Amino acid sequence: MKQVESDQTSGTSSSTGALFDIKQLRSNGTAGVSSGIRGLSRNQGVSMLVILGVLWLVLGLLSPYFFTVDNIMEITLQTAVIAIIAAGETFVILSGGIDLSVGAVFACSAVVGGLVLESTGNLPLALAATVSFGALLGLTSGLLIAKLYVPPFIATLGMMGVARGLALILSSGIPIYGLDEGYKFIGQGKLFDVIPVPTLIVLLVYILGYILANRTRFGRFVYAIGSNSEAARLSGINVTRVTIGVYVMSGFLAGLASIIEAGRLGIVQPAGGNGYELLAIGAVVIGGTSLFGGEGSIIATLIGAIIVTTIRNGLNILGVNAFWQYVVNGTVIITAIAVDQYRRRR
Amino acid sequence: MAKLLTMEGMTKSFFGVKVLKDVDFDLEYGEVHVLLGENGAGKSTLMKILSGAYQTDSGSISLNGDKLNLSSYDPKTAEDHGIVTVYQNFHLIPHLSVAENLAMPIFTRERGLIRWKDVYVHADEVLDKINYEIDPRARVRDLPVSQKQMLEIAIALSKNAQVLIMDEPTAALSRNETEILFQAIADIKARNIGIIYISHKLEEVKQIGDRVTVLRDGTKIATLASKEANLDEIVRLMIGKELSSSQQAREVSFDGDLFRVEGLMSTYLSAPISFAVRKKEILGITGLVGSGKTELARAIFGVDRLSGGSVYLEEHPVHIDSPETAVKLGLGYLPEDRDSDGLCLNLGVKENISMVLLSKLKGLLFSTASEKRTVSRIVQSMDIKAAGLSQQVKYLSGGNKQKVVFGKWLSGGCTLLILDEPTIGIDVGARGEIYSLIREFVAEGEDRAVIFISSDIPEILDVTDRILVMSGGSLVAELDPKGATKQEIMQHSLRGRRAVE
Repeated sequence: MKQVESDQTSGTSSSTGALFDIKQLRSNGTAGVSSGIRGLSRNQGVSMLVILGVLWLVLGLLSPYFFTVDNIMEITLQTAVIAIIAAGETFVILSGGIDLSVGAVFACSAVVGGLVLESTGNLPLALAATVSFGALLGLTSGLLIAKLYVPPFIATLGMMGVARGLALILSSGIPIYGLDEGYKFIGQGKLFDVIPVPTLIVLLVYILGYILANRTRFGRFVYAIGSNSEAARLSGINVTRVTIGVYVMSGFLAGLASIIEAGRLGIVQPAGGNGYELLAIGAVVIGGTSLFGGEGSIIATLIGAIIVTTIRNGLNILGVNAFWQYVVNGTVIITAIAVDQYRRRR
Repeated sequence: MAKLLTMEGMTKSFFGVKVLKDVDFDLEYGEVHVLLGENGAGKSTLMKILSGAYQTDSGSISLNGDKLNLSSYDPKTAEDHGIVTVYQNFHLIPHLSVAENLAMPIFTRERGLIRWKDVYVHADEVLDKINYEIDPRARVRDLPVSQKQMLEIAIALSKNAQVLIMDEPTAALSRNETEILFQAIADIKARNIGIIYISHKLEEVKQIGDRVTVLRDGTKIATLASKEANLDEIVRLMIGKELSSSQQAREVSFDGDLFRVEGLMSTYLSAPISFAVRKKEILGITGLVGSGKTELARAIFGVDRLSGGSVYLEEHPVHIDSPETAVKLGLGYLPEDRDSDGLCLNLGVKENISMVLLSKLKGLLFSTASEKRTVSRIVQSMDIKAAGLSQQVKYLSGGNKQKVVFGKWLSGGCTLLILDEPTIGIDVGARGEIYSLIREFVAEGEDRAVIFISSDIPEILDVTDRILVMSGGSLVAELDPKGATKQEIMQHSLRGRRAVE
């Protein structure tokens, strides 16, 4: 027990900037007594919210536009898309894998849904086609990983190319216009004229995600496999099935997110979702989920997604060249992981 | 004339435990000195001191009569002095050629482009040191084991060896290959090089040894001339005074087989294996390291694929093709390496213990409240010391970790537990608790049994109702612990190999 206490107190000292503190407080919260399976610990949650508050304050001071209703709505909607993709990515990363294909799967399933709508005019069918196709692509990655033992990094990198190519081939590279009003309601509508529909969907996804992670056998097995897949297998867990399930879910959620974006923009872009994998993985790692699997929290990913989106939005309204956003996103992910690694080694 | 090597008063403690106590050892020029002892007797510690991997706590080492400076003694200086260990293929890079492997020192020393002519000249020089043909252009992974071994010896000799340390060099060799190795050893002796030869094969003491030293519990027991040594005498020296069996009479009647395997075969077993475990029985399986005990356990549990044989549970034929099936049938497996195969180290005590329970349930949701109740009950009854049910298991002591693995199977309600070295790395007190848990487990149900795998013979004698001895991948003996002695088991383990060859 002494060991635990010392572990908890170690690592509170160094601070190299706001983001880093988050990681440290977060890990102090979970390293010891809590196994990190439940929601996020109090320290972790508070510190992430503090970061978010500071971020908002700074951006509010730098730009009078930041706190306008329009911009806050913009952040909310952008967050929705990333948060939903990141929810699936969280489970993948908790299981010890990674899904690099979410951005391309996002685009490809949107195109398939858009084409179904174009040819049938049937909205429910189009929506079902979108999420099913996303799930199908996820299933393919999952089979490659769990049955053929292709490393997740490679399987989903390949899937990224395949899905992006399919999106461009199926649509001939041309955006699909004239989406149904129903699409627009999902992307832009408000329930009782107050709550944006995308936000409702996010809440639903995260409530279900929380239950899945903490109250279901599947969720528990994801943690177990991510922590030690051999021990999980020897305990009678069907590692193959759970692994496949995780990638199916990630594909499904990428498809779901693409419906919101299509509704928001009013078109389906075959080149859409570019770089979303970076944002989604960024949201997960900023939320403190370990890239080695087995440790992390789904709720923290939601806050991570808000942080990622805020940074992106802030760069936009400050007039920073859009190309720099990739640089910033990449840097944020690398920094978060480098700090985490540094802390583990000490 | 001074001796080639003299080690005096070698002592080594780890964390306050003395693993080597004032051991003297010497080596003549051109001598093969065999080092014998059970696992943990101190052989490898002594050799690691000699090769510079460990520093001795006291004593002195002299080479050619000159005292070595032990304060700055490390693997590099040991090799500079010509004290070289022959590795068991650990050193070779399989997909490179023999010549490329031999040229590694050149590659690391010299910058710029590789001069291939030099590489092959160097290879020929090294291979000339052994009287044995190896094609320098052959890829190492294509070589038979014996040739790899020869290659290792050639590499060792190329380092201007005066003292060669060989650790179980014949473990993986066939009879013919062993003959070739012994010829090579004879050649090396003729060049006045001394060889320290560690082996479990007693007959080799007679075949190639000049002298033999026996270690036990970190102490040197005796050094004998090989010609005068008697093998039974050596076994007695290795295991110490005859322990009378301390088995507490367990008055149990075993009615019927719980589990039976017939003609079980897998890639890792050398012969088909048949045995049965009776209800309420603790069946012991013992043997030396590499005898196939773990492989048998893994084959039964569906971890490694079976290539033949049939398995019966309560007289019903069952087909176990994966651990998942095994668990569903009520089997449990406590792996030898609990950290890497038995536990999810960064998950909590609760998550680890409930794992088997959950894997047996159906449906998506489960009751976290009843999970908590079950786990609390197990933690309490097993007296697992943790800061809480959510404490990550990586912070627990070895004994408590093992209890968590045990608890995982108890919570899952399994009937046949396969325990692979359940007390390895666990202190004496916790061992006792593990033994009681095993006894309680079989006592608490009618249809329960335990397969207890261990290379610790006293514990096998103490805990089990019946003992199977494995050697070289097959079953070689069945014994009753009440009458059996440690010496008898040791002889079966050691001699079985010879029988297999």
